[in-house]
Amino acid sequence: MTARKRTSSVTNSENPLPPPKKTTIASADDFHLAPPKLGVIFVISSLLCSLYLYLLCFHYNVDSELKRPILINAGLSLVGFFVTLKLIPVAARYVLRRNMFGFDINKRGTPQGDVKVPESLGIAVGIVFLIVAIIFQFFNFTEDSLWLVEYNAALASICFMILLGFVDDVLDVPWRVKLLLPSFATLPLLMAYAGHTTIVIPKPLVSYFGLEILDLGRIYKLYMALLAVFCTNSINIHAGLNGLEIGQTVVIAAAILVHNVMQIGASVDTEFRQAHAFSIYLTQPLMATSLAMLAYNWYPSAVFVGDTYTVFAGMTMAVAGILGHFSETLLIFFLPQVLNFLLSLPQLAGIVKCPRHRLPKFDPATGLLTGTKDGTLVNVYLRIFGRKSEKSLCIHLLVFQALACAFCFLLRHFLAGWYK
Amino acid sequence: WLVEYNAALASICFMILLGFVDDVLDVPWRVKLVLPSFATLPLLMAYAGHTTIVIPKPLVAYVGLEVLDLGRIYKLYMGLLAVFCTNSINIHAGLNGLEIGQTVVTAAAILIHNVMQIGSSTDPEYHQAHAFSIYLTQPLMATSLALLAFNWCPSSVFVGDTYTVFAGMTMAVVGILGHFSETLLIFFLPQVLNFLLSLPQLAGIVKCPRHRLPRFDPATGLLTGTKDGTLVNVYLRLFGPRSEKSLCIHLLAFQALACAFCFLLRHFLAGWYK
Repeated sequence: MTARKRTSSVTNSENPLPPPKKTTIASADDFHLAPPKLGVIFVISSLLCSLYLYLLCFHYNVDSELKRPILINAGLSLVGFFVTLKLIPVAARYVLRRNMFGFDINKRGTPQGDVKVPESLGIAVGIVFLIVAIIFQFFNFTEDSLWLVEYNAALASICFMILLGFVDDVLDVPWRVKLLLPSFATLPLLMAYAGHTTIVIPKPLVSYFGLEILDLGRIYKLYMALLAVFCTNSINIHAGLNGLEIGQTVVIAAAILVHNVMQIGASVDTEFRQAHAFSIYLTQPLMATSLAMLAYNWYPSAVFVGDTYTVFAGMTMAVAGILGHFSETLLIFFLPQVLNFLLSLPQLAGIVKCPRHRLPKFDPATGLLTGTKDGTLVNVYLRIFGRKSEKSLCIHLLVFQALACAFCFLLRHFLAGWYK
Repeated sequence: WLVEYNAALASICFMILLGFVDDVLDVPWRVKLVLPSFATLPLLMAYAGHTTIVIPKPLVAYVGLEVLDLGRIYKLYMGLLAVFCTNSINIHAGLNGLEIGQTVVTAAAILIHNVMQIGSSTDPEYHQAHAFSIYLTQPLMATSLALLAFNWCPSSVFVGDTYTVFAGMTMAVVGILGHFSETLLIFFLPQVLNFLLSLPQLAGIVKCPRHRLPRFDPATGLLTGTKDGTLVNVYLRLFGPRSEKSLCIHLLAFQALACAFCFLLRHFLAGWYK
């Protein structure tokens, strides 16, 4: 759910026979995007990436055969960061020319509330991500055809998701269809998933089940598809504040990278390491391109990300979790999103009335947000902790996300011996 | 098999995405030219086949080899083929039903070629390659025919760049992964012709207007060819003014003739050429 008021839809009139009419938007030429907030990005990047880089390069003795592709991927991602940074102002101009913009509801009543903010810039991120991911294939010369199958299936799934997200942003697809479509996008993934479909029964429950390992077979694949649908949609509904969508994505992505490198460092099984390296190959570009977009999307937002970005990010993380075989860990990283989903259930199910936007109320006089009775994490947080400014609230929620990820690491540490 | 299939899906999906973004945002044409190259990269990675070409028998004496391994240049050729296919359908357009029409005629020719090759060969890998092409061309054919139901003259919907680049890419993909790209090029003869005719204007040597369509006369309802370098205009200049529907049918018949000519060519040159 995007929190921006959409005014007009895209008009595209093209007649091959009569001479074409050129539609000109008066403001297109004198449109200038606010400069990227690189200082903020530098701080955020350092906070998120330093632990990961330290673990990768110094703490763990990662096999150089594995380290090289990871570093190459990191280099490509860095290039992707700068390309995205340059691409977004260009794309913003094109998008505005097509009347794809929104007004920032959380600034209504102030002069900023009348500014036309370009929408759906997630398409720029998605395209750069795909190009980086495609080019990376050339640098990872493995004879392993299984790897190529999984990688191409991942690319196909993510690409299809970006397409559906962008089509949704342009055409405003009804939500029932939106719910169903990610399932189709995950099909290439499910076909390519050649791993085990067994789950390890937690030790305390073995006596009840009588088995140590349970083969779920097809139900496991169903679980994977549902996971993808959940991830794509949950980021979408935990949104509405400047920088929240990308912010939660990069925090989770950092946690994923740390988890991956820890698992690589702590294991000797080649297949296991390959799986986590695979996840790194997808998450590093996601992180880099998202940070570039965050430079423009951080408070106060100069561009909006659109459904294109949220479904792309959700799908990429779901793919990384599924093909990297750490989907349960991923779910715990997604704890705030799960919470938000549970809080939203009454309204989504229609039991409680559900308005178009479930945003907190903005007071132009004080510049603070107050929580409404809507069932979202944003509102509940405001009701518990009192009114806040948008920027401060966003930072609080991102810290909460980071805490949830840290909690997950703690949980894994303690349950490691006892649970499995 | 799954590698090639998923790479094909990734390439085609990326092309549809780029086509739709172009339809929505109106991407500058220079970018439009380069983007299909990126969309073909998954394909080039997955192409595990031979990169050799068989030297035509008459030329063996000059070249000194029977089989020439082009290696990377072959991959470059494949990339260029994809760029060509996606863009050439796009510029051979402008009449109701022409874009989808040329696609389904070419697709039918592809299917016939595939099944002929499967029938006349015993090599299972060869069978697989042509079956692979069928698996992608049948859905293309079916969905295109459904769209044609709305797009045939007079059109109730337009296809947009989204369709033309998608169709071009899908056919390039089947030609590449089915290992019959040279045959595909001959099926594309009208598109090649159109491209060559358009070159002066595309290169900027001759002035190039926004649309290079024939002139429509509301009184008679007929189209007259202008001086623009497209197959549509040249056909009208050669054969006189026509109604849009009749012109479209003529051009599709020409497409079918080109495909038939290709089959004839393969039949005669089979023993002599290779």
